[in-house]
Amino acid sequence: MIDFGIPLLIGYTLLPLVFILLSNYLFEKTEFANYVYGLFALSFVSKLSEPIRNDFLKSIFNKHKYKKLRAIENLIYCLPFTLFLIYKNQFAFSVILNLFVILITLFNFSTNLNVTFPTPFSKKPFEFTVGFRKTFYVFPIAYFLTYISVSLGNFNLGVFSMLLVGITCFSYYSKIENEYFVWNYNLSSKEFLLEKTKTCLIYFSLLSVPIIVTLAVSFFNEIDILIVFFLLSYAYLTTIIFAKYSSFPNEMNISQGILIALSFMFPPILVIFIPLFYSQSIKKLNAILND
Amino acid sequence: MIKIEKLSKFYGKKQVLNSIDLEFKKGKIYGIVGENGAGKTTLFRCISGLENYKGNITSDYNKLKDHLGLLLTEPFFFSKITGKEYIRLLANARQKKLTNIEDKNIFDLPLNQYASTYSTGMKKKLALTAILLQENNVFILDEPFNGVDIQSNLIITEILKRFKKLEKTVIISSHIFSTLANTCDEIYLMKNGEIIKKVEQVDFNKLENEMKEFTVGNRIDKLELK
Repeated sequence: MIDFGIPLLIGYTLLPLVFILLSNYLFEKTEFANYVYGLFALSFVSKLSEPIRNDFLKSIFNKHKYKKLRAIENLIYCLPFTLFLIYKNQFAFSVILNLFVILITLFNFSTNLNVTFPTPFSKKPFEFTVGFRKTFYVFPIAYFLTYISVSLGNFNLGVFSMLLVGITCFSYYSKIENEYFVWNYNLSSKEFLLEKTKTCLIYFSLLSVPIIVTLAVSFFNEIDILIVFFLLSYAYLTTIIFAKYSSFPNEMNISQGILIALSFMFPPILVIFIPLFYSQSIKKLNAILND
Repeated sequence: MIKIEKLSKFYGKKQVLNSIDLEFKKGKIYGIVGENGAGKTTLFRCISGLENYKGNITSDYNKLKDHLGLLLTEPFFFSKITGKEYIRLLANARQKKLTNIEDKNIFDLPLNQYASTYSTGMKKKLALTAILLQENNVFILDEPFNGVDIQSNLIITEILKRFKKLEKTVIISSHIFSTLANTCDEIYLMKNGEIIKKVEQVDFNKLENEMKEFTVGNRIDKLELK
């Protein structure tokens, strides 16, 4: 949270609220929410299965204590998901999820594979190249959700799958790169921002095409809503790029975070925020690109 | 040519560069030596335009940074980017279209492996390859020989000699004096943010002896090694 410029106290207050809101949204939109939710929970907990950390724990604790510790920390990590499933009366599912979570403690595996994962975005590094490799599993999930939405005639689930791709691409721009990589560009600040935005929107469109086309064909009557959400995704991606460079070379600060959060609640405000972040970015980039 | 006049740099109240005057000409290789914290890296960052400063830095180029290849002491790498993609990233930044990157892999690096998994020396060689392929006219190389194996050391030395023939301007810092003595036309000695000495090629041996005397002196005697 410090990385995103959000003070810890505010961050830890907002985090449960955001978690509840997103969970609620998922359960409202699809009847398969508990499966998707379970997958999210397991992928979250699996971060604790890293061999390096667990080898370290093994070197400190004896076998019995180690197993107990791993089980407890996995259950604690999974607790928010368990509590929400109980709140949604998914008792059996919460028990199964917790059993899986304990089962995971028997295995150590790296979630950061050093095997070079192929990416279609290797021609223009780096945001999508790095981001795709970190989140590649999201896309099959999103495409599968699109398939389910079509087979069940659930348009909302289809929109959710499109937004999932949008949010994932959005996350590629949340962290600022080392100034060296901006300094290297022999472009003006305007050209630099244009280049970054163009690449982002083209690559996002490529990832979204299967979803858009499928939904457009299957829910032709809802095509206007689809277009609105697609254009909104474009607007938010542009916003995050401009916001990112508006505080360059520092990370985004709390005020920028609040403005972005506000824009999610009231999208028309982007008409003001996009030019605002753009002009701030130009000023910051001029200093490094010697414009 | 790059001309530096009265260059000063402060970090807060601390002065790290003090009224430096230097001139770097085409087709020449310049060495900058000095102990840790002498201000070498800050000087390089100022020339590159990565730092604000007091004084003037002028050059033959409209925007010096667009013709400058900068090798950092510790090159930064993203976690999931391959060597080839790193080279492409830096080439794209300068609008250079690269083909057959593998053929230009003079250090035999595993280009399809994530660059963040490379050793220190390999990272240095990758960063150097990337700036070489940018086709720059000026090079600032901060510790190019650091962590690099002897074979690559020879290749880098040869590249520097080739640069001289190609009329490029090269500025290098290194703690390995012999590599500088082999390649440089002039060496500047920095101390506490100031250039305290300029040494021509004929006096390199004298400078090395002076540095040895100054740096080592009778320090080792204090250990009373037996």
